[in-house]
Amino acid sequence: MTKPRASMDGPGLFMQAWRLLGFAPLLLLVLLAVNIAINPARFAPAGWGTLIGLAAPLVGAALASTPAILSGRGGIDLSIGPVMGFVNAVVVLYLVKQAGIQSPWIIFPAAILIGALIGALNGLLAAVLRVQPIVATLGTYLILVGLTLTILPAPTGTVPAWLRALSGPLSILPLLGIAIVWTIIRRLPFYDHLMAVGSDDRAAYTAGIPVTLVRFVTYVIGGAFAGVAGLMMTALISSADPSIGPTYTLIAISAVALGGVSLAGGRGGLTGAAIGALCIFLLQSALTYFNLSTFVLQIAYGAVLVIAIVLTAVQDRLLRRRQEG
Amino acid sequence: MRITLDQWRVLGCVLVAVGLYVVGALTIPGYNSDFSLRAMLVLASLLAIASIGQTLVVIIGGIDLSIPFIIGFANVVAAQLYGGGMNFVLVVVIVLAIAAAVGAANGFISAALGLHPLIVTLGVGTIVQGCVLLWTGGFPAGSAPPLLSQFVSIGGNAGFLPVPWLVPCFVVLAALVMLALARTPYGRRLFALGANPRAARLSLINPVAMWTITFAFSAGFAALAGVLLLGFTGSAYGEVGQPYLFQTIAAVVVGGTALVGGRGSYLGTVAGTLVLTQINTLLIGLGFQPSMVQALLGVVIIALVSLYGRDAHVRNTI
Repeated sequence: MTKPRASMDGPGLFMQAWRLLGFAPLLLLVLLAVNIAINPARFAPAGWGTLIGLAAPLVGAALASTPAILSGRGGIDLSIGPVMGFVNAVVVLYLVKQAGIQSPWIIFPAAILIGALIGALNGLLAAVLRVQPIVATLGTYLILVGLTLTILPAPTGTVPAWLRALSGPLSILPLLGIAIVWTIIRRLPFYDHLMAVGSDDRAAYTAGIPVTLVRFVTYVIGGAFAGVAGLMMTALISSADPSIGPTYTLIAISAVALGGVSLAGGRGGLTGAAIGALCIFLLQSALTYFNLSTFVLQIAYGAVLVIAIVLTAVQDRLLRRRQEG
Repeated sequence: MRITLDQWRVLGCVLVAVGLYVVGALTIPGYNSDFSLRAMLVLASLLAIASIGQTLVVIIGGIDLSIPFIIGFANVVAAQLYGGGMNFVLVVVIVLAIAAAVGAANGFISAALGLHPLIVTLGVGTIVQGCVLLWTGGFPAGSAPPLLSQFVSIGGNAGFLPVPWLVPCFVVLAALVMLALARTPYGRRLFALGANPRAARLSLINPVAMWTITFAFSAGFAALAGVLLLGFTGSAYGEVGQPYLFQTIAAVVVGGTALVGGRGSYLGTVAGTLVLTQINTLLIGLGFQPSMVQALLGVVIIALVSLYGRDAHVRNTI
């Protein structure tokens, strides 16, 4: 829907870039340039693995939050962060520590399965039972946070070497995996159904799209992505910690909104969400480098979020006016 | 038909609250005791005051995630200013005015630009929290005036009533809110705008003004709850509002207000706060760990809302 708008000719080069890319990619470029300028060593190719490993959990959380939001009618998944924390606790505590399992061929499918099962529960509640998604996933949020704290009252445990490598040299692999899976999904009829349901579920229903099934599958996909994001978080912290996972929920939703995904559904995609997450990561990275207190960082983060979505809205408005005029 | 359904939801929530009370009184020794009832009434009143704004905002079709940040802001700033020697009435006026201005900004930005209030309030709330932390350096000082502590103290008495003044004052406030929703032009505009924004605009309701006022109310009541919490805990704590992020939403939805706008009642929210407070007390009384209590609270919220708060199927909305 945004593409025909973007192809319209505009006055300035900047305006054209803005129109073509939206605000978030421009912000990303600016932030990247600033980061490289102030700290070239950290952004040298040799450090890319570690750098991506640092950003990966947030990017993963944003990617996992996106499908539910795309499905429209208040679709949102607040449980993404707690799912990551739960996967972290189960993998480190039960699989690695108690069962002594080291193989990625068991740990990866297990994490994805846990995420997908919780996603299926969310889908069951939100799509089939038709509890409002924000309430349903708030419920699973509370359940998962409680369960995680029950099985894991305090941080503990270690992870296998290959998992630690996922926050270093191999950090791009899980994200690549999600990207490949999503590229395949985009080629399936399911994707068109999802976008149709997200833009106007009533029209989609009259056109014969199985709205409930599409929404259910969407939550399962988001949950599976959250399972992978949980592993990326586990790789980064190299232990089990019950307090870290839930903090990703709101920041991931901010990243999604920053990346131009409409919270009303049906507009945007995983690329935008990833760009939004990278913007937040680079912003934090730059502000930390200046040795500003975390308080200033928080103000700046909130301000950039508000300004970015305001500018996106203004851009939309200008485009619409020009189209109408 | 729709009105009776909504009333049934509120009635259902009230029945659940009464049922929980009976179950608690029968199963847990001391549940019915003077102290436990006073504590639950005070906690429920505080939550209900913080949820006034969330109810109004949900009726207009929005959501307010800045409530916990505003509560923390009011809590810290009130203690800090009072500790600095300022008159407490002036302190409250200043805190409420700043909060209302922040809330107005939330509503204005959301409505004027058509942005989702979830993200706007989250961003603005983060800025507010950062500013407060920057001002206090992370270590808030100051204290609560003794009169305020007495006003919300669990052991306090309001004249001949065996509850602190907070509870009867809250009952009056709740009655005023319900009256405002049912009998004033503001209330009717709120419901009209939430039910059908386009029709409301055609009947000359200014959506931007309504959103601005309503979010200002929301932040104002959140700030009031923050100041009262200062009296309850005695000292300032910036994170004091965090549990209220999800609890206000839970109280609203458990009270039968749908998150779609145009429907809902404050009576339901009050019943919702009674349900949440009682479940919490009940589960702790049954010997569950706080983490398990949280998990079970999640189960209960889902169970209650799937009993009486479900959305219509798409086929019934065409």
